[in-house]
Amino acid sequence: MKPFLCIGLLFTVLITSGCWDRTEINDLAFILGAAFDLSDEGEYLLSLQIAIPSSSQGGTGGGGSGQQDKFFVLSATGKNANEAFHKIQNKSSRRLFTAHRSVIFIGESLGRHGIDDVLDVFSHDPRQRLKTYIMIVKGGRGQDVLLTKYPFEQVPTEAVKEMEISGSGLAVTLRDFFIAASSDGISPVMGVIEPESASEVTKGNKNKIFNLTGTAVFKDLKLIGFLDDAETSGLMWATNRMRLGRINAALPDRGGTVGIVLSHAERKITSEVSGDKIKVNLQLHGQGSFVENNTRLDISRPQNLLLVQHALEKSLELQIRKALTKIQKRYKVDSTGFGQEIHRNKPKAWKALKDQWDSKYPMVDISIDVRLSINGAGMAGPPLQLKDKETIK
Amino acid sequence: MKRFRKWMHKEPEYPTIPEDYHSEDEESPRLTLDLEQNELIFRRIFHNSSDIVFRKIGMAEQALWLVIFLESLVDEQIVDEHILKPLISNTSKQQEFDTQAEELDDQIISAASTNLSSNVTDIVRHVLKGHAIVLTRADSNAMMVKVNGNKQRSLEEPSSEPVIRGPRDGFIENISTNIGLIRSRLKSSRLKMESITIGELSQTEVILTYIVGIASESLIEEVRKRVSRIQIDGILDSAYIEEFIEDSPYSPFPLLHSTERPDVVAAELLEGKVAILVDTSPFALIAPMTFWTGLQASEDYYVRWPIATFVRWVRFLFTAIAIFAPPLYVAVTTFHQEMIPTNLVLSLASSREAVPFPALIEALLMEIIFEALREAGIRLPKQIGQAVSIVGALVIGQAAVEAGIISAPVVIIVSITGIAAFTIPRYSFANGIRLLRFPMLFLAGTLGLYGIVLGFLGILLHVAMLRSFGVPYFTPVAPLTLASLKDVIIRAPIWAKTGRPHATGMSNPVREPAGQKPGPSQGKQPSENN
Repeated sequence: MKPFLCIGLLFTVLITSGCWDRTEINDLAFILGAAFDLSDEGEYLLSLQIAIPSSSQGGTGGGGSGQQDKFFVLSATGKNANEAFHKIQNKSSRRLFTAHRSVIFIGESLGRHGIDDVLDVFSHDPRQRLKTYIMIVKGGRGQDVLLTKYPFEQVPTEAVKEMEISGSGLAVTLRDFFIAASSDGISPVMGVIEPESASEVTKGNKNKIFNLTGTAVFKDLKLIGFLDDAETSGLMWATNRMRLGRINAALPDRGGTVGIVLSHAERKITSEVSGDKIKVNLQLHGQGSFVENNTRLDISRPQNLLLVQHALEKSLELQIRKALTKIQKRYKVDSTGFGQEIHRNKPKAWKALKDQWDSKYPMVDISIDVRLSINGAGMAGPPLQLKDKETIK
Repeated sequence: MKRFRKWMHKEPEYPTIPEDYHSEDEESPRLTLDLEQNELIFRRIFHNSSDIVFRKIGMAEQALWLVIFLESLVDEQIVDEHILKPLISNTSKQQEFDTQAEELDDQIISAASTNLSSNVTDIVRHVLKGHAIVLTRADSNAMMVKVNGNKQRSLEEPSSEPVIRGPRDGFIENISTNIGLIRSRLKSSRLKMESITIGELSQTEVILTYIVGIASESLIEEVRKRVSRIQIDGILDSAYIEEFIEDSPYSPFPLLHSTERPDVVAAELLEGKVAILVDTSPFALIAPMTFWTGLQASEDYYVRWPIATFVRWVRFLFTAIAIFAPPLYVAVTTFHQEMIPTNLVLSLASSREAVPFPALIEALLMEIIFEALREAGIRLPKQIGQAVSIVGALVIGQAAVEAGIISAPVVIIVSITGIAAFTIPRYSFANGIRLLRFPMLFLAGTLGLYGIVLGFLGILLHVAMLRSFGVPYFTPVAPLTLASLKDVIIRAPIWAKTGRPHATGMSNPVREPAGQKPGPSQGKQPSENN
C-alpha cells in the first residue's frame, strides 16, 4: 500500500509544480541579433533580428512562393532597453528568446553619446549571454546591419558571429568588454563592422555584405575613435590577442613584397618605472610560413631568409608602433592595458601612478622587440615563373 | 482505506475439486493380488480418457499380464519391441506358474529404466509421465517401464539470442534433452541435477543444476528453498518460477537471467551460479543475475576481445540512449532551448512549426505507436508480421511528418531509441529498459532536465538497492570489486580472466592458472622443464 501512496503523492508534485515555465520551441521568437541606436528624439531605439523558422526547411511547406525571408526585424524606442524590449514583445506573437542572440550592434551615434545606459541590462538579466559579441557600426545605424541580407548564412548575424570566431578581426564579447571597463589601467575596445554598399563590389546583387574594419576605442564608455585594419592588428599584437594574422613586408630593392601567415603568436611584456619615467617593453614572437614571395630572392637560402625575416620584423614593428602612437598620442586612452600590466607586476609603483594614469599614459616609452621565426620557405625558393638567372641566390 | 485494503487482499473462495484419486498425503490405495480388481481400479481412474490403452496378454480367458499406457505419451514402437513382444513370446512358458514383477524386470522386459511399485497414486503418476505399466496376475507390485515418446522439436538456434559466431543449439521443451545439452558441455560428475516436482496438476519437473565446489552452498540452499516453497496448480513456463522466487517483485528489471542457450548456462554455472531448468520450457533461469549480465551477450566471449569490448561500450551507450534520448529531446526543446546550438534550434523550430502538439505529447504518441508496431510485429503471423511493421513504420513515420502532425526530429529520436533498445542482448532486460522510458518522458515533460536528473537518480537508487539471491544487482560496480570489472567495462581476454566473479565464485575463486598469455615464451617452458 505504502508505495502506491508515495507514488501518488509524488505524482501530485509533478503535475502541480511542473510545467510552469514550459515553452514549446515553436512558441519562441529566437532573437539572433540586436542593435541599439539613438533615435532622433534622443531615446534609445532597440531593433531585434528574429529568425523565421519555417523558411529554413525548404519547399516542404505550402506552395513554395519563391525565396521567403529568413528573418525579420522588429524595433521600438524607449527610455531604456527594458522599455523598448517590452514594446517589441507587444509586437510579437511569440515570446522573445534572447539566449541565442550572438551579436549586439551599437550605432556609431549612440557610441559617441555613451553606451552605459544600454549595457546594464545585459549584466542584470540572467537570460542574456555574456559571450555575445558586441560591435560598433561605423558610419551607420545598427539597424542597417540587422536588415542586411548576407548571402552565406541563413541569417546575417550568424555570418557576423562566424567572422568574429574566425579570429581575423578583433572579437570582443560582452564579458571582455565588462572586464575591461571595470578594471583599472585598461580601457575597453570593441570590434567595428561597416556595411558595404552594394554599388561598391557586388553590383546588381541585392545581397549586401559587411566588413570587419578595425577597432573602436572607448573612453569612459564613450566612443572616441577608430583604428583601421592594420592598426587593429598592431593592437592585437600588443594586447596578446593575435592568433592568426598575416604579415607583409616590402623589399623595394629586391623588387617586390613578401607575405607570411602566422601559425603562432606570443607577446611578453615587462615594465620599468623609475621616477617619472615609465618604460614598457614588448617582446613579440611569431611563427609563420611563407605564402607569398614576389621578390627575386631565393628564400630557401638561409641568408635570403634572414633578409626577408628582418624586413618582416621591421614591418611588423612599424605596424605596431603606428597603432600604439595613434592610441597614445591621438586618443590618449590606454586601450592596450599597459596600466594593468604595471598594476600586476609593480603594484607599489602603480599605487602612485593610478590616479594620474590617464595623463601619464601618453608619455609612456614603448620599446618593441619583434622576433619572427619562419618555418621553411614553402613549396619553392624563388618564384617559379622567374628564369634561373633572374633570381638572387 | 481499510475497505480498499480489504478488497485488495480478499481471500477468494476456492471451489472444492472432486478428486479422481487420492492425493498423496492421504492413505493411497494399493494394488491387490487380483488382476481384474486392479484393472478396475485403473479403469475407474482413467475413465473418459480416450488415449489410455489396456492391453491384456494371456492364454484363453486367462489374462497373464495387463499393460497400461497412455498412447499419446509413449513411443509405441518401444512398447511393441520391448514389452509386448517379450511378454507374448513368454506366455506359453509362464502358463504354469505366475511370474512376479521382479522376474519380469530381470528376465523379460528389456527396457533401460524400470521401477516397481504397488502404490496406485505412484503408478498413476508414472502413467501420466509416459511410462507403461505391466501388471501381473499374482503380484501386487506393478512394473513401470519408461517408454517416453519422442515428441519434441529438433534443436534449433535460439530465436531470442542469435549469434554469428558460437554454438547454435538452443534449449527445447523437453527437459531431458536440455539436461543433455548442458551435460555435453560440462562432463563432470560435480555437475548436479536436483529434481523437484512442482504444480499440483502439471506435476512439472524442475531441475536445479549447479557445480559442486564452485557454487556456494548457501546459494544452492536458498534457491532450493525458494523453489520448493512454490505451490501452484500448474507451471507452464519457467517464467512462472521466476515470478515466485525473485527478490523484488515490483522491479522492472529482471532479477533472474533467463536464457535459451545451453552455452550461457554452462558459462554461468562455471561462474558459480545456479540454473533452474523447467520441463516444457525452453528457457532456463540462472540465479543470481546482475545488472551487467543484462548487457552481456554470449557472443562477447566468442569474438576477439577488443571487438567485444568495443561492442559492449556501444551497448552501454545505446542503453543510455534507449532510456534518455526521448526525455532529453523533450526536456531540452520545451525547457532549455538555450542549450541547443543556434543553427540546430532553428531547424528544430522550423520542423515543429506546423505541429499542433506539445513536444511531450508528440514524443509519447510516437513512442506508443512504435511500441504498438513492435508488439504487432511479434504477435502477427510471421508472414504478415514483417510486412505490417514495415508498412506501419513507413506510413506512420513518413505520412505523419508530411501531414505536419509529427515533427521529423521526433521520428528520428523515436527510431533511434527503438534501435537502441534492440542492442540490449537480454530480452527481459531490454523490456525493463523500454518501460522506464515512459516515466522518464513524463518527468522530462513536466520538470525538464531537473526531472531527468531526478529520474536518473531514482533508477540508480533502485538498481543499487536491488538484490538477486543476496548478490547486489549492480555489482561489481557498486559495491566495487575491481577484479571483477574485467568482465564489465572491458571483456578481458580469456587467459587474463583467471578468477571467478567476486559475487558468486568466491568459494572457488581460481579459474585457471595465470601466465597463459600466448607468446614465444609459452613454447619455451616445457623444453626447459624437461
